[in-house]
Amino acid sequence: MVLVICFVLLGLCMLTSLAFGSRMVGLHDVIDGLFHPAADSYEANVVRKRISRTVFSLLCGAALGVSGALMQAVTRNPIADPSILGVNTGASLFVVCGIAFLNISTANQYIWLALAGAAITALFVFGIGSLGRSGATPIKLVLAGAATSAALSSLVMAIMIPRSYVMDQFRFWQVGSVGSANWDNISTFTPFLLIGILVAIFSAPALNALALGDDVATGLGVRTGTLRLIAALGAVLLCGSATALAGPIGFVGLLSTHVMRLILGPDLRFVIPMSALSGAIILTVSDVLGRLIGSPGELEVGVVTAFIGAPILILLTMKLKVRSL
Amino acid sequence: MTQTHIFQAEEIVAGYDNKMVIQEVSLVIPSNKISVIIGANACGKSTLLKTLSRLTKPVSGNITLDGKLISKIPSKQLARVVGLLPQSPIVPEGISVADLVGRGRFPHQSLLSGWTKKDYEAVAEAMRIMNITELANHNIDELSGGQRQRVWIAMALAQQTDILFLDEPTTFLDITYQVEILDLLTDLNRKHGTTIVMVLHDINLSARYADYIFALRQGKLIVEGEPLKVITSTLVKDIFGLDCMVIKDPVSGSPFAIPKGRYHVNNEKAP
Repeated sequence: MVLVICFVLLGLCMLTSLAFGSRMVGLHDVIDGLFHPAADSYEANVVRKRISRTVFSLLCGAALGVSGALMQAVTRNPIADPSILGVNTGASLFVVCGIAFLNISTANQYIWLALAGAAITALFVFGIGSLGRSGATPIKLVLAGAATSAALSSLVMAIMIPRSYVMDQFRFWQVGSVGSANWDNISTFTPFLLIGILVAIFSAPALNALALGDDVATGLGVRTGTLRLIAALGAVLLCGSATALAGPIGFVGLLSTHVMRLILGPDLRFVIPMSALSGAIILTVSDVLGRLIGSPGELEVGVVTAFIGAPILILLTMKLKVRSL
Repeated sequence: MTQTHIFQAEEIVAGYDNKMVIQEVSLVIPSNKISVIIGANACGKSTLLKTLSRLTKPVSGNITLDGKLISKIPSKQLARVVGLLPQSPIVPEGISVADLVGRGRFPHQSLLSGWTKKDYEAVAEAMRIMNITELANHNIDELSGGQRQRVWIAMALAQQTDILFLDEPTTFLDITYQVEILDLLTDLNRKHGTTIVMVLHDINLSARYADYIFALRQGKLIVEGEPLKVITSTLVKDIFGLDCMVIKDPVSGSPFAIPKGRYHVNNEKAP
Protein backbone atom coordinates (compact mmCIF):
# COMPACT_ATOMS: atom_id res chain seq x y z
CA MET A 1 0.00 0.00 0.00
CA VAL A 2 2.67 2.45 1.06
CA LEU A 3 4.72 1.18 -1.84
CA VAL A 4 1.94 1.96 -4.33
CA ILE A 5 1.45 5.45 -2.95
CA CYS A 6 5.18 6.07 -3.10
CA PHE A 7 5.41 4.96 -6.69
CA VAL A 8 2.46 7.14 -7.70
CA LEU A 9 4.13 10.08 -5.94
CA LEU A 10 7.37 9.24 -7.66
CA GLY A 11 5.67 9.29 -11.06
CA LEU A 12 4.07 12.64 -10.31
CA CYS A 13 7.45 14.00 -9.22
CA MET A 14 9.03 12.95 -12.47
CA LEU A 15 6.28 14.55 -14.50
CA THR A 16 6.38 17.82 -12.62
CA SER A 17 10.14 17.85 -12.75
CA LEU A 18 9.95 17.57 -16.51
CA ALA A 19 7.14 20.05 -16.93
CA PHE A 20 7.90 22.80 -14.43
CA GLY A 21 10.82 25.11 -14.39
CA SER A 22 11.95 28.52 -15.35
CA ARG A 23 10.11 27.84 -18.57
CA MET A 24 6.76 26.09 -18.26
CA VAL A 25 5.85 23.45 -20.77
CA GLY A 26 2.57 21.58 -21.21
CA LEU A 27 1.90 17.88 -20.88
CA HIS A 28 1.80 17.65 -24.64
CA ASP A 29 5.38 18.89 -24.88
CA VAL A 30 6.52 16.52 -22.17
CA ILE A 31 5.16 13.61 -24.17
CA ASP A 32 6.74 14.98 -27.32
CA GLY A 33 10.10 15.35 -25.63
CA LEU A 34 10.00 11.90 -24.13
CA PHE A 35 8.54 9.75 -26.85
CA HIS A 36 8.83 11.58 -30.16
CA PRO A 37 12.45 12.07 -31.01
CA ALA A 38 11.37 13.77 -34.20
CA ALA A 39 9.52 16.53 -32.40
CA ASP A 40 11.77 19.52 -32.52
CA SER A 41 9.89 22.26 -30.79
CA TYR A 42 11.79 24.42 -28.32
CA GLU A 43 9.67 23.03 -25.49
CA ALA A 44 10.40 19.43 -26.41
CA ASN A 45 14.10 20.20 -26.24
CA VAL A 46 13.71 21.84 -22.85
CA VAL A 47 12.01 18.68 -21.65
CA ARG A 48 14.84 16.53 -22.99
CA LYS A 49 17.31 18.68 -21.12
CA ARG A 50 15.35 18.12 -17.97
CA ILE A 51 15.39 14.35 -18.27
CA SER A 52 18.98 13.98 -17.13
CA ARG A 53 18.40 16.42 -14.35
CA THR A 54 15.33 14.54 -13.16
CA VAL A 55 17.04 11.16 -13.31
CA PHE A 56 20.01 12.53 -11.42
CA SER A 57 17.90 14.10 -8.67
CA LEU A 58 15.98 10.84 -8.24
CA LEU A 59 19.17 8.81 -7.92
CA CYS A 60 20.84 11.37 -5.72
CA GLY A 61 17.80 11.54 -3.45
CA ALA A 62 17.69 7.77 -3.20
CA ALA A 63 21.37 7.70 -2.27
CA LEU A 64 20.95 10.35 0.40
CA GLY A 65 17.86 8.65 1.81
CA VAL A 66 19.51 5.27 2.18
CA SER A 67 22.72 6.83 3.45
CA GLY A 68 20.78 8.62 6.18
CA ALA A 69 19.00 5.41 7.17
CA LEU A 70 22.31 3.54 7.36
CA MET A 71 24.02 6.18 9.44
CA GLN A 72 21.14 6.35 11.87
CA ALA A 73 21.22 2.59 12.26
CA VAL A 74 24.98 2.44 12.69
CA THR A 75 25.14 5.16 15.31
CA ARG A 76 21.77 4.20 16.80
CA ASN A 77 21.15 7.93 16.80
CA PRO A 78 17.86 9.11 15.32
CA ILE A 79 19.25 12.48 14.32
CA ALA A 80 22.35 11.13 12.60
CA ASP A 81 22.87 12.32 9.06
CA PRO A 82 25.85 12.32 6.72
CA SER A 83 27.36 15.25 8.56
CA ILE A 84 27.44 13.33 11.83
CA LEU A 85 30.21 10.99 10.80
CA GLY A 86 32.01 14.03 9.39
CA VAL A 87 31.53 12.60 5.92
CA ASN A 88 30.32 15.80 4.29
CA THR A 89 33.12 17.87 5.75
CA GLY A 90 35.72 15.31 4.77
CA ALA A 91 34.39 15.32 1.23
CA SER A 92 34.38 19.14 1.23
CA LEU A 93 37.96 19.33 2.43
CA PHE A 94 39.21 17.09 -0.32
CA VAL A 95 37.26 18.96 -2.97
CA VAL A 96 38.63 22.28 -1.73
CA CYS A 97 42.15 20.88 -1.78
CA GLY A 98 41.52 19.65 -5.32
CA ILE A 99 40.32 23.05 -6.44
CA ALA A 100 43.07 24.93 -4.65
CA PHE A 101 46.12 22.78 -5.32
CA LEU A 102 45.30 20.51 -8.24
CA ASN A 103 43.22 22.82 -10.43
CA ILE A 104 40.37 20.39 -10.57
CA SER A 105 37.08 21.67 -11.87
CA THR A 106 34.87 18.91 -13.28
CA ALA A 107 32.37 16.83 -11.43
CA ASN A 108 33.86 13.54 -12.52
CA GLN A 109 37.09 14.52 -10.85
CA TYR A 110 35.31 15.77 -7.77
CA ILE A 111 33.71 12.40 -7.25
CA TRP A 112 36.92 10.54 -6.52
CA LEU A 113 38.26 13.30 -4.31
CA ALA A 114 35.01 13.59 -2.42
CA LEU A 115 34.75 9.82 -2.03
CA ALA A 116 38.31 9.56 -0.81
CA GLY A 117 37.71 12.41 1.59
CA ALA A 118 34.48 10.90 2.82
CA ALA A 119 35.97 7.43 3.23
CA ILE A 120 39.13 8.60 4.98
CA THR A 121 37.13 10.79 7.31
CA ALA A 122 34.68 8.00 8.08
CA LEU A 123 37.53 5.58 8.79
CA PHE A 124 39.26 8.16 10.93
CA VAL A 125 36.10 8.90 12.89
CA PHE A 126 35.41 5.20 13.19
CA GLY A 127 38.96 4.57 14.41
CA ILE A 128 38.76 7.29 17.05
CA GLY A 129 35.29 6.17 18.05
CA SER A 130 36.49 2.58 18.54
CA LEU A 131 39.32 3.46 20.89
CA GLY A 132 38.96 1.98 24.32
CA ARG A 133 37.61 -1.34 25.44
CA SER A 134 33.93 -0.93 24.73
CA GLY A 135 34.50 -0.43 20.99
CA ALA A 136 32.60 1.88 18.67
CA THR A 137 29.61 2.88 20.77
CA PRO A 138 27.06 5.26 19.23
CA ILE A 139 27.91 8.08 21.60
CA LYS A 140 31.64 7.82 20.93
CA LEU A 141 31.02 7.77 17.17
CA VAL A 142 28.85 10.87 17.37
CA LEU A 143 31.40 12.72 19.48
CA ALA A 144 34.28 11.72 17.24
CA GLY A 145 32.24 12.76 14.20
CA ALA A 146 31.36 16.16 15.62
CA ALA A 147 34.93 16.88 16.72
CA THR A 148 36.42 15.80 13.40
CA SER A 149 33.82 17.76 11.50
CA ALA A 150 34.66 20.92 13.42
CA ALA A 151 38.40 20.47 12.88
CA LEU A 152 38.02 19.77 9.17
CA SER A 153 35.71 22.67 8.48
CA SER A 154 38.23 25.06 9.98
CA LEU A 155 40.81 23.54 7.64
CA VAL A 156 38.43 24.11 4.74
CA MET A 157 38.13 27.76 5.71
CA ALA A 158 41.88 28.12 6.15
CA ILE A 159 42.52 26.86 2.64
CA MET A 160 39.68 28.74 1.02
CA ILE A 161 39.78 32.21 2.49
CA PRO A 162 43.14 33.36 1.09
CA ARG A 163 42.19 32.14 -2.41
CA SER A 164 39.23 33.92 -3.91
CA TYR A 165 39.07 31.77 -7.05
CA VAL A 166 38.65 28.66 -4.90
CA MET A 167 35.95 30.40 -2.97
CA ASP A 168 33.92 31.19 -6.08
CA GLN A 169 34.10 27.72 -7.49
CA PHE A 170 33.58 26.05 -4.17
CA ARG A 171 30.65 28.14 -3.14
CA PHE A 172 28.52 26.96 -6.00
CA TRP A 173 29.36 23.36 -5.23
CA GLN A 174 28.93 23.85 -1.52
CA VAL A 175 25.32 24.96 -1.81
CA GLY A 176 24.26 21.80 -3.56
CA SER A 177 22.70 21.64 -6.97
CA VAL A 178 21.45 18.95 -9.31
CA GLY A 179 20.99 21.36 -12.23
CA SER A 180 24.38 20.81 -13.78
CA ALA A 181 23.99 17.05 -13.98
CA ASN A 182 24.58 15.37 -17.32
CA TRP A 183 24.48 11.74 -18.45
CA ASP A 184 28.19 11.39 -17.80
CA ASN A 185 27.69 12.26 -14.16
CA ILE A 186 24.84 9.82 -13.93
CA SER A 187 26.85 6.94 -15.34
CA THR A 188 29.72 7.73 -12.97
CA PHE A 189 27.34 7.86 -10.08
CA THR A 190 25.16 4.79 -10.74
CA PRO A 191 27.66 2.04 -9.78
CA PHE A 192 28.26 3.68 -6.41
CA LEU A 193 24.54 3.97 -5.86
CA LEU A 194 23.94 0.32 -6.71
CA ILE A 195 26.72 -1.01 -4.52
CA GLY A 196 25.65 1.23 -1.65
CA ILE A 197 22.03 0.17 -1.85
CA LEU A 198 22.94 -3.51 -2.04
CA VAL A 199 25.13 -3.14 1.04
CA ALA A 200 22.25 -1.42 2.79
CA ILE A 201 19.66 -4.04 1.91
CA PHE A 202 21.90 -6.95 2.89
CA SER A 203 22.90 -5.43 6.21
CA ALA A 204 19.33 -4.51 7.18
CA PRO A 205 18.57 -7.70 9.18
CA ALA A 206 21.81 -7.38 11.14
CA LEU A 207 21.14 -3.68 11.70
CA ASN A 208 17.73 -4.68 13.07
CA ALA A 209 19.55 -6.80 15.65
CA LEU A 210 21.98 -3.96 16.36
CA ALA A 211 19.01 -1.72 17.17
CA LEU A 212 18.41 -3.85 20.29
CA GLY A 213 21.80 -2.88 21.67
CA ASP A 214 25.31 -4.19 21.08
CA ASP A 215 24.99 -6.92 23.70
CA VAL A 216 21.80 -8.39 22.27
CA ALA A 217 23.23 -8.14 18.77
CA THR A 218 26.37 -10.00 19.84
CA GLY A 219 24.19 -12.67 21.42
CA LEU A 220 22.35 -13.02 18.12
CA GLY A 221 25.63 -13.65 16.33
CA VAL A 222 26.24 -10.20 14.86
CA ARG A 223 29.86 -9.07 14.71
CA THR A 224 29.02 -5.53 15.70
CA GLY A 225 32.37 -3.98 14.74
CA THR A 226 32.42 -5.51 11.28
CA LEU A 227 28.76 -4.68 10.70
CA ARG A 228 29.29 -1.03 11.67
CA LEU A 229 32.29 -0.79 9.38
CA ILE A 230 30.50 -2.29 6.37
CA ALA A 231 27.31 -0.30 6.86
CA ALA A 232 29.26 2.91 7.44
CA LEU A 233 31.26 2.31 4.28
CA GLY A 234 28.02 1.78 2.36
CA ALA A 235 26.72 5.06 3.76
CA VAL A 236 29.96 6.80 2.84
CA LEU A 237 29.81 5.48 -0.70
CA LEU A 238 26.25 6.72 -1.14
CA CYS A 239 26.58 10.09 0.46
CA GLY A 240 30.15 10.72 -0.73
CA SER A 241 29.31 10.17 -4.37
CA ALA A 242 26.07 12.14 -4.13
CA THR A 243 27.93 14.95 -2.40
CA ALA A 244 30.67 14.95 -5.01
CA LEU A 245 28.24 15.56 -7.85
CA ALA A 246 25.62 17.71 -6.22
CA GLY A 247 27.39 19.31 -3.30
CA PRO A 248 26.41 18.74 0.30
CA ILE A 249 22.62 18.53 0.39
CA GLY A 250 21.31 18.41 3.92
CA PHE A 251 18.17 17.04 5.50
CA VAL A 252 17.18 14.60 2.77
CA GLY A 253 18.66 11.62 4.61
CA LEU A 254 17.15 12.71 7.87
CA LEU A 255 13.72 13.53 6.53
CA SER A 256 13.20 10.55 4.25
CA THR A 257 14.14 8.04 6.93
CA HIS A 258 11.97 9.60 9.58
CA VAL A 259 8.93 9.82 7.37
CA MET A 260 9.31 6.15 6.51
CA ARG A 261 9.83 5.15 10.12
CA LEU A 262 6.70 7.01 11.17
CA ILE A 263 4.68 5.19 8.54
CA LEU A 264 6.29 1.76 8.57
CA GLY A 265 7.65 1.34 12.09
CA PRO A 266 11.20 0.50 13.05
CA ASP A 267 11.88 -2.56 10.85
CA LEU A 268 14.90 -1.55 8.77
CA ARG A 269 14.24 -4.24 6.18
CA PHE A 270 11.39 -1.98 5.05
CA VAL A 271 12.66 1.40 6.17
CA ILE A 272 15.95 1.20 4.26
CA PRO A 273 14.63 0.47 0.77
CA MET A 274 11.66 2.76 1.25
CA SER A 275 14.00 5.57 2.30
CA ALA A 276 15.45 5.38 -1.18
CA LEU A 277 12.00 6.08 -2.62
CA SER A 278 11.14 8.83 -0.18
CA GLY A 279 14.58 10.39 -0.59
CA ALA A 280 14.13 10.44 -4.36
CA ILE A 281 10.71 12.03 -4.01
CA ILE A 282 11.85 14.63 -1.51
CA LEU A 283 14.90 15.72 -3.49
CA THR A 284 13.03 15.89 -6.80
CA VAL A 285 10.16 17.88 -5.31
CA SER A 286 12.69 20.21 -3.72
CA ASP A 287 14.40 20.69 -7.03
CA VAL A 288 11.10 21.50 -8.75
CA LEU A 289 10.21 23.92 -5.97
CA GLY A 290 13.61 25.57 -6.32
CA ARG A 291 12.96 26.13 -9.99
CA LEU A 292 9.50 27.54 -9.35
CA ILE A 293 10.45 29.78 -6.46
CA GLY A 294 13.60 31.04 -8.11
CA SER A 295 11.89 31.67 -11.48
CA PRO A 296 13.06 33.10 -13.87
CA GLY A 297 16.35 31.79 -12.48
CA GLU A 298 16.44 28.94 -9.99
CA LEU A 299 17.22 28.23 -6.38
CA GLU A 300 19.78 25.50 -5.69
CA VAL A 301 18.20 22.39 -4.32
CA GLY A 302 20.45 22.40 -1.22
CA VAL A 303 18.88 25.67 -0.16
CA VAL A 304 15.39 24.33 -0.74
CA THR A 305 15.89 21.11 1.22
CA ALA A 306 17.23 23.12 4.11
CA PHE A 307 14.24 25.45 3.95
CA ILE A 308 11.56 22.78 3.81
CA GLY A 309 13.52 20.13 5.66
CA ALA A 310 14.22 22.05 8.82
CA PRO A 311 10.70 23.21 9.68
CA ILE A 312 9.12 19.91 8.69
CA LEU A 313 11.55 18.01 10.86
CA ILE A 314 10.83 20.30 13.80
CA LEU A 315 7.10 19.82 13.20
CA LEU A 316 7.52 16.07 13.01
CA THR A 317 9.53 15.98 16.18
CA MET A 318 6.97 18.01 18.06
CA LYS A 319 3.74 16.56 16.74
CA LEU A 320 4.50 12.91 16.42
CA LYS A 321 7.07 11.56 18.75
CA VAL A 322 10.06 10.90 16.52
CA ARG A 323 10.78 7.24 16.71
CA SER A 324 14.24 6.68 17.97
CA LEU A 325 16.22 3.62 17.07
CA MET B 1 14.41 -31.66 23.19
CA THR B 2 17.75 -29.93 23.22
CA GLN B 3 21.11 -31.56 22.83
CA THR B 4 23.65 -32.06 25.55
CA HIS B 5 26.66 -29.78 25.36
CA ILE B 6 29.88 -29.43 27.26
CA PHE B 7 30.39 -25.76 27.97
CA GLN B 8 33.42 -25.04 30.05
CA ALA B 9 35.78 -22.32 31.16
CA GLU B 10 39.41 -22.95 32.01
CA GLU B 11 41.28 -20.52 34.22
CA ILE B 12 39.68 -17.46 32.70
CA VAL B 13 40.86 -14.02 33.74
CA ALA B 14 38.70 -11.09 32.67
CA GLY B 15 38.04 -7.51 33.55
CA TYR B 16 38.07 -3.94 32.38
CA ASP B 17 41.15 -1.87 31.63
CA ASN B 18 43.68 -2.74 34.29
CA LYS B 19 41.33 -4.14 36.88
CA MET B 20 40.91 -7.89 36.57
CA VAL B 21 37.48 -8.70 37.98
CA ILE B 22 37.52 -12.42 37.27
CA GLN B 23 40.54 -14.32 38.48
CA GLU B 24 41.31 -17.78 37.19
CA VAL B 25 37.83 -19.17 37.25
CA SER B 26 37.39 -22.69 35.91
CA LEU B 27 33.98 -24.26 35.64
CA VAL B 28 31.83 -26.66 33.68
CA ILE B 29 28.21 -25.65 33.07
CA PRO B 30 25.93 -28.59 33.98
CA SER B 31 24.12 -29.47 30.76
CA ASN B 32 20.30 -29.31 30.71
CA LYS B 33 20.20 -27.83 34.21
CA ILE B 34 19.53 -24.42 35.70
CA SER B 35 22.69 -22.86 37.10
CA VAL B 36 22.73 -19.66 39.08
CA ILE B 37 25.76 -17.49 39.73
CA ILE B 38 25.53 -15.76 43.10
CA GLY B 39 27.74 -13.32 44.95
CA ALA B 40 27.81 -9.88 46.52
CA ASN B 41 27.69 -6.65 44.49
CA ALA B 42 30.85 -6.10 42.46
CA CYS B 43 32.10 -9.64 43.03
CA GLY B 44 32.31 -10.14 39.28
CA LYS B 45 29.24 -12.31 38.72
CA SER B 46 27.96 -10.16 35.87
CA THR B 47 31.43 -10.01 34.33
CA LEU B 48 31.69 -13.78 34.57
CA LEU B 49 28.38 -14.17 32.76
CA LYS B 50 29.43 -11.61 30.14
CA THR B 51 32.70 -13.42 29.59
CA LEU B 52 31.00 -16.79 29.28
CA SER B 53 28.46 -15.36 26.87
CA ARG B 54 31.20 -13.73 24.74
CA LEU B 55 30.34 -10.08 25.46
CA THR B 56 33.72 -9.59 27.12
CA LYS B 57 36.87 -11.22 25.84
CA PRO B 58 38.85 -13.00 28.54
CA VAL B 59 42.39 -11.68 29.01
CA SER B 60 43.59 -15.24 29.41
CA GLY B 61 42.10 -18.70 29.70
CA ASN B 62 39.86 -20.67 27.39
CA ILE B 63 36.11 -20.94 27.02
CA THR B 64 35.04 -23.97 25.02
CA LEU B 65 31.80 -25.39 23.67
CA ASP B 66 32.01 -29.11 22.99
CA GLY B 67 35.78 -28.84 22.96
CA LYS B 68 35.97 -25.90 20.53
CA LEU B 69 37.09 -22.44 21.57
CA ILE B 70 34.03 -20.20 21.35
CA SER B 71 36.17 -17.45 19.82
CA LYS B 72 36.91 -19.79 16.92
CA ILE B 73 33.27 -20.72 16.24
CA PRO B 74 31.61 -18.52 13.55
CA SER B 75 29.43 -16.05 15.42
CA LYS B 76 26.14 -16.98 13.78
CA GLN B 77 26.77 -20.68 14.29
CA LEU B 78 27.55 -20.07 17.95
CA ALA B 79 24.38 -17.97 18.24
CA ARG B 80 22.34 -20.99 17.19
CA VAL B 81 23.57 -22.88 20.27
CA VAL B 82 24.23 -20.20 22.87
CA GLY B 83 21.69 -17.44 23.48
CA LEU B 84 21.98 -14.43 25.68
CA LEU B 85 19.73 -11.92 27.37
CA PRO B 86 21.80 -9.01 28.69
CA GLN B 87 20.75 -6.76 31.52
CA SER B 88 19.61 -3.65 29.73
CA PRO B 89 18.67 -4.25 26.12
CA ILE B 90 17.45 -1.32 24.03
CA VAL B 91 13.82 -1.17 22.95
CA PRO B 92 13.51 0.55 19.57
CA GLU B 93 10.61 2.95 19.94
CA GLY B 94 7.39 1.89 18.29
CA ILE B 95 8.43 -1.74 17.90
CA SER B 96 5.72 -4.39 18.20
CA VAL B 97 6.00 -7.49 20.35
CA ALA B 98 6.01 -9.80 17.33
CA ASP B 99 8.69 -7.76 15.56
CA LEU B 100 10.96 -7.79 18.59
CA VAL B 101 10.53 -11.52 19.23
CA GLY B 102 11.12 -12.13 15.53
CA ARG B 103 14.52 -10.46 15.70
CA GLY B 104 15.67 -13.47 17.71
CA ARG B 105 15.57 -15.44 14.47
CA PHE B 106 18.54 -13.56 13.02
CA PRO B 107 21.14 -16.35 13.44
CA HIS B 108 18.88 -18.81 11.62
CA GLN B 109 18.46 -16.64 8.54
CA SER B 110 20.94 -16.28 5.72
CA LEU B 111 21.49 -13.16 3.64
CA LEU B 112 19.11 -14.28 0.94
CA SER B 113 16.65 -16.63 2.61
CA GLY B 114 14.33 -14.19 4.31
CA TRP B 115 11.60 -15.53 6.59
CA THR B 116 10.74 -19.22 6.38
CA LYS B 117 7.89 -21.22 7.86
CA LYS B 118 10.29 -22.41 10.57
CA ASP B 119 10.93 -18.82 11.62
CA TYR B 120 7.23 -18.05 12.02
CA GLU B 121 6.72 -21.25 13.98
CA ALA B 122 9.63 -20.52 16.29
CA VAL B 123 8.30 -17.03 17.02
CA ALA B 124 4.77 -18.31 17.66
CA GLU B 125 6.15 -21.04 19.94
CA ALA B 126 8.32 -18.59 21.89
CA MET B 127 5.38 -16.24 22.40
CA ARG B 128 3.20 -19.14 23.50
CA ILE B 129 5.75 -20.34 26.06
CA MET B 130 6.05 -16.83 27.49
CA ASN B 131 2.27 -16.28 27.43
CA ILE B 132 2.40 -13.21 25.25
CA THR B 133 0.63 -14.49 22.15
CA GLU B 134 -2.29 -12.14 22.66
CA LEU B 135 0.13 -9.20 22.97
CA ALA B 136 1.74 -9.91 19.57
CA ASN B 137 0.57 -6.71 17.87
CA HIS B 138 0.98 -4.45 20.87
CA ASN B 139 3.62 -1.81 21.12
CA ILE B 140 6.35 -2.63 23.65
CA ASP B 141 5.90 0.85 25.10
CA GLU B 142 2.40 -0.11 26.27
CA LEU B 143 3.53 -3.09 28.33
CA SER B 144 4.30 -3.43 32.04
CA GLY B 145 7.78 -4.30 33.27
CA GLY B 146 6.88 -7.95 33.78
CA GLN B 147 5.35 -8.25 30.33
CA ARG B 148 8.36 -6.57 28.75
CA GLN B 149 10.71 -9.00 30.39
CA ARG B 150 8.61 -11.88 29.08
CA VAL B 151 8.87 -10.38 25.59
CA TRP B 152 12.66 -10.20 25.86
CA ILE B 153 12.91 -13.76 27.08
CA ALA B 154 10.62 -14.79 24.20
CA MET B 155 13.07 -13.11 21.83
CA ALA B 156 15.88 -15.19 23.29
CA LEU B 157 13.66 -18.30 23.03
CA ALA B 158 12.90 -17.62 19.38
CA GLN B 159 16.63 -18.02 18.89
CA GLN B 160 16.08 -21.69 19.85
CA THR B 161 19.41 -22.22 21.54
CA ASP B 162 20.29 -25.18 23.72
CA ILE B 163 22.08 -22.93 26.19
CA LEU B 164 20.67 -19.65 27.46
CA PHE B 165 22.51 -17.04 29.52
CA LEU B 166 20.47 -14.42 31.40
CA ASP B 167 21.91 -11.49 33.32
CA GLU B 168 19.62 -10.73 36.25
CA PRO B 169 16.35 -11.45 34.43
CA THR B 170 14.27 -10.47 37.45
CA THR B 171 15.83 -7.12 38.40
CA PHE B 172 13.38 -4.23 38.82
CA LEU B 173 10.41 -6.59 38.88
CA ASP B 174 7.88 -7.02 41.68
CA ILE B 175 8.13 -10.29 43.56
CA THR B 176 5.07 -11.66 41.73
CA TYR B 177 6.76 -11.16 38.38
CA GLN B 178 10.09 -12.45 39.67
CA VAL B 179 8.44 -15.74 40.58
CA GLU B 180 6.49 -15.77 37.32
CA ILE B 181 9.65 -15.31 35.22
CA LEU B 182 11.57 -17.93 37.17
CA ASP B 183 8.66 -20.37 36.84
CA LEU B 184 8.56 -19.82 33.09
CA LEU B 185 12.31 -20.38 32.83
CA THR B 186 11.90 -23.57 34.85
CA ASP B 187 9.14 -24.69 32.45
CA LEU B 188 11.58 -24.13 29.63
CA ASN B 189 14.25 -26.18 31.32
CA ARG B 190 11.95 -29.03 32.37
CA LYS B 191 10.02 -29.27 29.10
CA HIS B 192 12.74 -28.53 26.57
CA GLY B 193 15.88 -29.36 28.46
CA THR B 194 17.38 -25.92 27.84
CA THR B 195 20.54 -25.31 29.81
CA ILE B 196 20.01 -22.06 31.71
CA VAL B 197 22.76 -20.02 33.33
CA MET B 198 21.77 -16.84 35.10
CA VAL B 199 22.88 -14.26 37.58
CA LEU B 200 20.34 -13.63 40.34
CA HIS B 201 20.41 -11.16 43.18
CA ASP B 202 18.16 -12.94 45.61
CA ILE B 203 19.87 -15.80 47.39
CA ASN B 204 16.65 -17.49 48.43
CA LEU B 205 15.13 -17.46 44.95
CA SER B 206 18.50 -18.73 43.71
CA ALA B 207 18.45 -21.55 46.23
CA ARG B 208 14.93 -22.49 45.24
CA TYR B 209 15.20 -22.34 41.45
CA ALA B 210 18.80 -23.42 40.87
CA ASP B 211 19.83 -27.00 40.23
CA TYR B 212 23.40 -25.85 40.63
CA ILE B 213 25.02 -22.86 42.30
CA PHE B 214 28.25 -21.05 41.49
CA ALA B 215 29.27 -18.75 44.36
CA LEU B 216 31.75 -15.98 43.65
CA ARG B 217 33.75 -13.84 46.01
CA GLN B 218 36.08 -11.13 44.76
CA GLY B 219 36.31 -12.64 41.32
CA LYS B 220 37.06 -16.15 42.53
CA LEU B 221 34.80 -19.15 42.41
CA ILE B 222 34.73 -20.29 46.02
CA VAL B 223 31.97 -22.88 46.11
CA GLU B 224 29.88 -24.76 43.59
CA GLY B 225 27.29 -27.48 43.87
CA GLU B 226 23.64 -28.21 44.53
CA PRO B 227 21.91 -25.61 46.70
CA LEU B 228 21.06 -28.12 49.42
CA LYS B 229 24.72 -28.93 49.86
CA VAL B 230 26.34 -25.55 49.41
CA ILE B 231 23.98 -22.92 50.81
CA THR B 232 24.92 -22.73 54.45
CA SER B 233 25.25 -19.92 56.94
CA THR B 234 29.02 -20.15 56.53
CA LEU B 235 28.76 -19.62 52.78
CA VAL B 236 26.40 -16.68 53.15
CA LYS B 237 28.76 -15.15 55.69
CA ASP B 238 31.61 -15.81 53.31
CA ILE B 239 30.19 -14.25 50.21
CA PHE B 240 27.90 -11.54 51.57
CA GLY B 241 29.60 -10.93 54.91
CA LEU B 242 26.20 -11.36 56.53
CA ASP B 243 25.28 -13.33 59.61
CA CYS B 244 22.27 -15.45 58.96
CA MET B 245 20.40 -18.56 59.83
CA VAL B 246 19.70 -21.10 57.12
CA ILE B 247 16.50 -23.08 57.50
CA LYS B 248 14.58 -25.41 55.27
CA ASP B 249 12.12 -23.47 53.13
CA PRO B 250 8.75 -24.89 54.20
CA VAL B 251 7.34 -24.46 50.70
CA SER B 252 10.08 -25.93 48.51
CA GLY B 253 12.38 -27.73 50.91
CA SER B 254 15.32 -25.71 49.57
CA PRO B 255 17.67 -23.83 51.89
CA PHE B 256 16.37 -20.49 53.07
CA ALA B 257 18.65 -17.84 54.51
CA ILE B 258 17.22 -15.56 57.17
CA PRO B 259 19.49 -12.55 57.74
CA LYS B 260 20.41 -11.44 61.23
CA GLY B 261 20.68 -7.70 61.51
CA ARG B 262 21.52 -5.69 64.58
CA TYR B 263 17.88 -5.18 65.51
CA HIS B 264 14.81 -7.36 65.77
CA VAL B 265 16.67 -10.42 66.92
CA ASN B 266 14.80 -12.41 69.59
CA ASN B 267 16.34 -12.55 73.08
CA GLU B 268 19.18 -10.32 72.09
CA LYS B 269 19.71 -6.68 72.76
CA ALA B 270 20.88 -4.34 70.10
CA PRO B 271 24.54 -3.43 70.52
